[in-house]
This record gives sequence, structure tokens and C-alpha cells, in this order.
Amino acid sequence: MRAVLVKTLADLRRRRLQAAVIFLTVLFAMAAGTTAVTLMSQTRDPYQIAFDKQRGAHLQVAFNATTDRQLMSNTPALIGASASGGPYPASNIQFRFGDRKFYVDAVGRDNPGGAVEVLSITSGRWPLANDEIVLTRSFSELNRISVGDRLKVTSVAQTPSLTVVGEVVDIDEGSADLSSQRAWMLPAALPALSTPDSSFYLMDYRFPTDPTSAQLQSSLDRLKTSLPAGSVAGSLNYLLIRSIFNITNQILTGVLVAFSVFALAATIAIVATLVTGIVISAYREIGIMRAIGFTPYQVVEVFALQIVIPALAACLVGVTAGTLASQPLLANSSHALGLAYTPTFSIGLDVLFLFGGLLVVAVAATVPALRAAQLKPIVAITKASAPRGAGGRLLRQGAARLRLPRPVVLGIGDAFARPLRAILTLVTVLLGVATIVVAVGLPRSFELINNSETGAGNYQVIVTRTSAYPDSEVMRLLNAQPQTARVVAVGGQNVIVPGVGDPVNTHLFRGDSSRLGYMVVAGRWYSAPGEVVAPAALIRDAHLKIGDSFTGTANGQPLQLRLVGETYDINNLGHSLFMDISTMASVTPAVEPFLYDITLMHGSDVSSYVRRVATAQPDLLDVRASDTSLIAPVKIIDLVLLILAGVLGLIGVGGVFNTLLLNTRERIRDTATLKSLGMSPRQVVVMVGASAGLLALVGGLAAMPLGLTLHHLLNDAISGSAGNDTPPAAYGVFAAWELTAIPLAGVVVAIAAAMIPGRWAARSNVVEVLHAE
Amino acid sequence: MKELVRLTDVTKVYQGGITGALNGVSLAVEKGEFTAIMGPSGSGKSTMLNLVAGLDRPTSGSVSVSGTDLGKLGETGLARFRRDHIGFVFQFFYLLPNLTALENVLIPAQLKGDGSTGRGRELLEKLGIADVADRYPARLSGGQQQRVAVARALINNPTLLLADEPTGALDTHTGEQVMELLGDLHREGQTILLVTHDAKLATRHAARVISVMDGKIVDDARLASPERAPSEVIRMRSEEKLR
Repeated sequence: MRAVLVKTLADLRRRRLQAAVIFLTVLFAMAAGTTAVTLMSQTRDPYQIAFDKQRGAHLQVAFNATTDRQLMSNTPALIGASASGGPYPASNIQFRFGDRKFYVDAVGRDNPGGAVEVLSITSGRWPLANDEIVLTRSFSELNRISVGDRLKVTSVAQTPSLTVVGEVVDIDEGSADLSSQRAWMLPAALPALSTPDSSFYLMDYRFPTDPTSAQLQSSLDRLKTSLPAGSVAGSLNYLLIRSIFNITNQILTGVLVAFSVFALAATIAIVATLVTGIVISAYREIGIMRAIGFTPYQVVEVFALQIVIPALAACLVGVTAGTLASQPLLANSSHALGLAYTPTFSIGLDVLFLFGGLLVVAVAATVPALRAAQLKPIVAITKASAPRGAGGRLLRQGAARLRLPRPVVLGIGDAFARPLRAILTLVTVLLGVATIVVAVGLPRSFELINNSETGAGNYQVIVTRTSAYPDSEVMRLLNAQPQTARVVAVGGQNVIVPGVGDPVNTHLFRGDSSRLGYMVVAGRWYSAPGEVVAPAALIRDAHLKIGDSFTGTANGQPLQLRLVGETYDINNLGHSLFMDISTMASVTPAVEPFLYDITLMHGSDVSSYVRRVATAQPDLLDVRASDTSLIAPVKIIDLVLLILAGVLGLIGVGGVFNTLLLNTRERIRDTATLKSLGMSPRQVVVMVGASAGLLALVGGLAAMPLGLTLHHLLNDAISGSAGNDTPPAAYGVFAAWELTAIPLAGVVVAIAAAMIPGRWAARSNVVEVLHAE
Repeated sequence: MKELVRLTDVTKVYQGGITGALNGVSLAVEKGEFTAIMGPSGSGKSTMLNLVAGLDRPTSGSVSVSGTDLGKLGETGLARFRRDHIGFVFQFFYLLPNLTALENVLIPAQLKGDGSTGRGRELLEKLGIADVADRYPARLSGGQQQRVAVARALINNPTLLLADEPTGALDTHTGEQVMELLGDLHREGQTILLVTHDAKLATRHAARVISVMDGKIVDDARLASPERAPSEVIRMRSEEKLR
């Protein structure tokens, strides 16, 4: 064993560059993989811990403000809940802070404790007076509101001021960037802030064990049938909230897992190429080793250990780095859940991943090394090296027919002189370029979808009115502005859809809503009263298909609807309806819009428009420029994708570099001969560069369909996790020239990487090389 | 006759010892000469050839070929010089294994930018190996491979043909055929500088035999009729050894 180690370490010192290539590729693969595995194993736990600690509600139900309190108090027993909270009076209020206005559901509670939905105070205290309010920490941080700040309520005529006295974490609602938020006041404070339209009651239920989705649905159905019609205004369950909390990590985990597999596959290809190359070039050495007493098994050990030793170092560093890299994401989750962050990872899982990765690398190294064991000593000594690869003839002939310069022709032939090595190299290039395609495409798809959700390019200003300021006045004000090009007014109403548990939030438009930029996934946008469009999750849950008619219930009245198209909308994870306001007017004649999407004339100054309209009614209108920026989770995913593309791209370049290094060393006698025949150093570099260029070009071209397919699949997975199907436009985010430019950029990078072995070959001393042969 | 090669007080010292070194060698080779350089292993004869080919640089002294001082050329200049002036035949042929015989022959011309195949085929015809033009080196006999190497050396009409032990890897009969071929080329006017340790071969074909020992020229014999005077050279080498 000592002899094996001595020989291995000596070889490692001699092959430092190759050891470095192995170290880096394994490091990147292990770091990405460990991050994914740590996120996967740890993300569910923090939510569960917080949910148990804060006695989270399995089911939250909003009751109509007219519902009898006694009836509501009896509901826990009705559905078998082991604990309950409420009924709490609640009201949707609007307040102004600085020049911005916000909506929250103000809930009346005497204290933050109780049997269900314990609110964890992270800053300040609970309200003691009617003019005090507590916000969620998520909402405060997102909107930069602090304890002590004064908020002016604008949804009621008296416009009272409230002081923020505390911040809490509520386990029973999503984060502020993904969900609407609650605020808490003393119950006695609520009546002064409520209007008949905005009031409701909230009840929390907790069951003896975590109920399934079906059990929750069954409980909700029982409530609906036991109470007067229309009493249940809405509901929220812990499964949905957990999904919202985990959605970023779930998407990140999916992306990381996919690309970790890529990185590992590329690493295997590089290791196999490297070991094959070492064995091929070391025939004489193998013969000598065998001649002086190494067993075939020990010879294999020497070659495999040359890979395993740097791989072990890389695994140790990579697993540690991956575990550390996952912590900020986990800390983010803990923070959102109101948990004190403590580093969370599984040592067992890390160790398992470390040895698993090492095993894969060891197998990839051992299989090609077995060739060394099969060599007869005398044959190995006599031959000195394996027969030189004679592949690539057809390519060379083809290139010659194109009348390319001879060094280029020779380089092209050399690229595929050893077909297996070339194929393994192509695998690394393929995976690297495919990842880059995804990293370029997905952020664009996200941006496209984000633009459709935020109306980017379609409307520039959003105005929200309070009920104290009538719709007709808003329209008069907006139409009086010379820069107003178009106004689409939006209202809302819950509609009960057969097959869907909760009432569905319905967007009611007045005006040409088809120009707001909503993406149509299938079918068409509605064009007549009675027609609706909906996202995939609602269509699926309601067992509908485009063209189907169904009867919804709004305001207790039947509403005849026909599904004419599928759209994309992540709100409520794909559970919403879109229709013209006139459709609803048939059952709720009084329904009016409260929000206005305004398209300005080309060249208008958005800021001055916002200022002017806001000044007209500072208390009763919220006027703001449409915020088209990406939400934080999407930015995180984009960043991770960028890093992964960099890593996989580097591994791809490493693969090409590694192959060129082997090819160049293996063919150094031929290169020396060519130099003796008059090949200039520049021509040698061109020859090596041509090899690199061809490998990168073939790999890059093959990678494009793979990258596009992967982009397609990831889009589908991400859309699916938000309850949607991917809009066709989100797939086609690449310009034709980019599909050409990406592989060409790969060629340029590969040629640049070829400069090192190319210059080495160009500088080699002909006399020394030929003498050594 | 016009002088083609000149070595002036050339010394070559290799790192780590003096084996194969040259020690103050001066030599002139005229155009049209068939010169053989003889000497035992490590005497410096191959070093001399490498310096003339511009494959290596002297530690001191100068080497000029066709009036070009090789010491003044950079790596690219030396590569161009070899393309234009030198044909090199190696002991172990050094054909490129993944190219056919014809492709091997054409390589030096193609490196100059000449893509025509006519002269390559012509040379293969002349050397009697036209029928193996499309075969790869692995499928050629040693003699055939060396003929291909000779054809490759001649493709650019070199001013000087250098041959380093061209028969060293061949059997006697094949070696004799290759030497006959070099003799024919010489008779057609080709300047040849041959390195060999075989005195019989050298004196049978070369008109001038230079003996090298321990990095120095110990004899420089011009043979009026080379085929009739080998013994004189052999005798001189033997005497030198005895000293």
C-alpha cells in the first residue's frame, strides 16, 4: 500500500494541473448538490416548528359581517376542531404613510396569545389604546414602516391616525411580497374604522392532527351547509400558506437539483476522460510498474487514487461550502417565520452526500483505469503509449475540401481522433451551454410573466379609491387629465365555483381589459358578458375545459358563465376569475370598480401625472406608478441561476481544456514533427484552437435543443408550482441571433481556453521531444 | 561551387552535461554536395544536423544556411526557413499516423499555402510508392514509410536535404534502397547532409565524409570517387578511436 501511495503522490505532483481541474469540477458539483440537498431537507422543518410553536390555524374562515356570533361560536364543535380563535371583528382598511397608501385587514384582538394563531411580537408591544396598531414584520420591512410611525386611515371619512406600536410574526399568513397582510388593533377600535362593505369576522380552527386537503374541504363544506347561505365569505388553510412560504425554496431546490445532476454528470465525463488519457499516455510506465512488482489491482489503485485524492479534498470543501451557501436562504425562511435563526443542516446527510459524490467519482475513475490492469507488461513497455487515435478522418477530409488552412484541417481531425474522449468532452460542453441557455431564458420568462402581472408597458399608473370617493368622480378626474390615454377600471367580487372549495377572487373589468397585458395561455380573452378566463389551477379544480359553461354563485345568486380562455395569474396560486363587470352586474347591480389601471399618452411624465392626480384627492385616492420590479424571490432565483450557469460553463470550459491538454500532450511528437517540417508556432496554436473550436461548436449546437427543452420544463414546473400553465410567449424568449450567438460564444471561450495547451505545444522543443521518443 | 551551409566556431552545451555537445565546430558545405557526417553515439553529429535545420540553437557561434544567419531568426522565422529551405528525413520516419501517405507528403506544402496535390503524386511516383498514396502509415512497410518521409522532405524543393540516420530503422536491403534513392537525388543536384554511423553506406554514396568525435570534427575527407575509397575513411575513424 505504501508503494501505491508513494507512486500516487508522485504522480499527483507531476500532474498538478489535472488535479486542479478535478478539484474544481468536483468542488462546484458538490457545492451545488449540497445546497440543494440541504434546502430540500431543511425547508419544511422551520415552518413546521413555527407552526407548532405559534399554534398555527389549520383553517381560517372569514364570515360575513352579518353572521350571528353565537352561530360562529358553535362552529368549532361542528367541524371537530380541538381549539379555536375568534370570532374576531375585522375590516379591510386603507391607510396612508408618507405619500403611499396601503390596504390591510385590521383584526380586533385583545391580546396576541390564545389557543390558536399566537402572534409572536418581534418588536414593540400589543396595542393598549384604540389609536394603536400592530403590523406584521414582513409588511413593515417591505414598506419601511417602523414602530412609532403614524398612519392615517383614509378608508373612512374621519381619517383617524394610528400609531404603530409593534411588529409581529403571524404564522397564518404568507409574506408581504406574496400575500395581502393583516394588522391588529383592540376590538373596540374596529367599529370606527369599518364600513358595511369592508367588515367581516375571522375565525381560526386547529385540529387534533394536521388535516389533509380533503379533510379541510370537508370541514369547510360542513360550515357552509350548516350556516345561512353566504355566511362563509372566504377561507385560508395552512397547506396553502406553507406552500407560499416554501415556494421560493421549492423552485430553487428544483433548479439546484437539476443542475447538480448536470454538474455531477459533467464531472464524471471529465474524470473518465482524464483517467483514460493518463492510462493511454502511460503505457510504458504501466509496464515498468508491473515489471517491478505492482499487481494489476495496485496499478488501478494508483490511477484511481490520483483522482480520488483531489476529489476527496473537493468533496470536503464543496459539502462545507454548499452547506454554508444554503444558510442565508434558510435564515431568510426562519426570519419570515419569526424563528430565531440557528444554522440548520444535517451532518448525516452531508456525510452521506460527501461519500456518495466520492463514490461516483471513484467509479468514474476506476472503470477506465481497469484498462491499465489488463495490459501485459511487455506489451506496455514495448508500445510506450496506446496507438494514437486515428479517428476524425472524415472530418479532416471534409475540412480539406472546404480549402481551410492546413493547421485548421489538422486541428479539426485531432478533435475527434479519440471518439470516446470527444464524446465525453461534448457532454461537458453540452451541459454547460444548456445551463447557460436556461440561465439566459428563465429570467426573461420571469420578467415577461412579471410584466404581464404588473402591466409593464401596458399601463403606467394605478389609482385606488376609497368608498368615500365615488367611481364617477374618479373617472371624471382621470378623464380630465390630458395625458390619460386609456382607463381600465377593476372591481372585485367573490364567486363560488362548483368544485372549488373557497370562494374565488374575481377580477371585474370595465374597459378594454385585453390591453392590460394579461397573458393568454390557451383559448382567448373574454369579449362578451358571461365569458370568463381563469388560470390553470381553477380550471383543473373545477374540472372545466375551454368552451365549458358553468354556473357560479355570487352574492347568493346563480351566475351563468362560459370559460373561453386560460390566463396566467399567480394570485391565490392560480385560483381567480377574470370577466367584464357587466357580467357581475346581472346579479350584483351595485358592484363598482375600486382600482384604475391608467395608460398614459406616449411621452407623458409619469411622476408629474401621479403627483397631480394624488394632489386632487390626497386622502381618498391612492395614486402610484405601476411597480414593475421583480419580487425578491424571483431575484434570488435569477441570481442562483446565474451562478449555476457560471459554474456549469466553467466545468464545460474545463472539459475542453482537459481534453486539449491530453490531446496536445499525446500528440506532441506529431506536433514536433510538424514543426520540423515548417509549422510555425502560430500555426500550432491555430491547430489546437481549431480542435477546441470544433468541440465547442458541436457541443454548443447540440446543447441548444437540450437547453431549450430544459427551459421549457423548468418554466412548466415553476408555473405549475404557482397553479398555472406556462404561457407560450414565456417559452419563446430567445431571438434567433441569440440561438446562434450562444454556441458561438462557447466557441470563442473554448478557443481562449485552448491557448494554454496550444502555446505549450508551440513552445515545445522539437529536438527534446523527438529525442525523448 | 557556391557555399550553402556555414557553421562558425559553433559550441552547443546541453544542460546537465556535455553529452552530445559541439565544441567549437566550424564547417562549410557547398551547394550540390552529398556530405555524410559520421561518428559514434553522443559524438554530436545529430546536434549538428539539428542546428543546421534550425531546430535547435547553438550556445555560441553562428550557423548560416543559404546566406541566412539562423541566429537572427525568431521561432516563426525559423519555421518559415525550414519550410522554404530544409527537407528533413528522420530515422524513425515520424509520419503523422492519422494522415495518408499522400497527405503526409503534402503537409509542408500546405503549411506554405500550396494546396495542389500534383507534385506530391509526382514524388510518390518517382519514389515508386504511388500505389500506397492513400494508405495510412500503419499499413506501410518500413521502407515505404521512409520513402514517404523522403517525398515529404522533397515536396517544397528544399535547398538542403537533411537525413538523420535514415536507414537506422530499416533492414539492410531496404536501407540500401533508401541510400540509392538519396544518391539519385544527389545526382540530380540535391544538396544532402546525411548523418549515419554506417561507414560503408556513407562512403558508398557521399562525396564528402566528416567524422565527429566528442563534439569536434576529427576528419573531413573529400572523396573523388566515393564508391572506390571507403576503406580510407574507415581506417581514419579506427585510428581516431585508438588514440
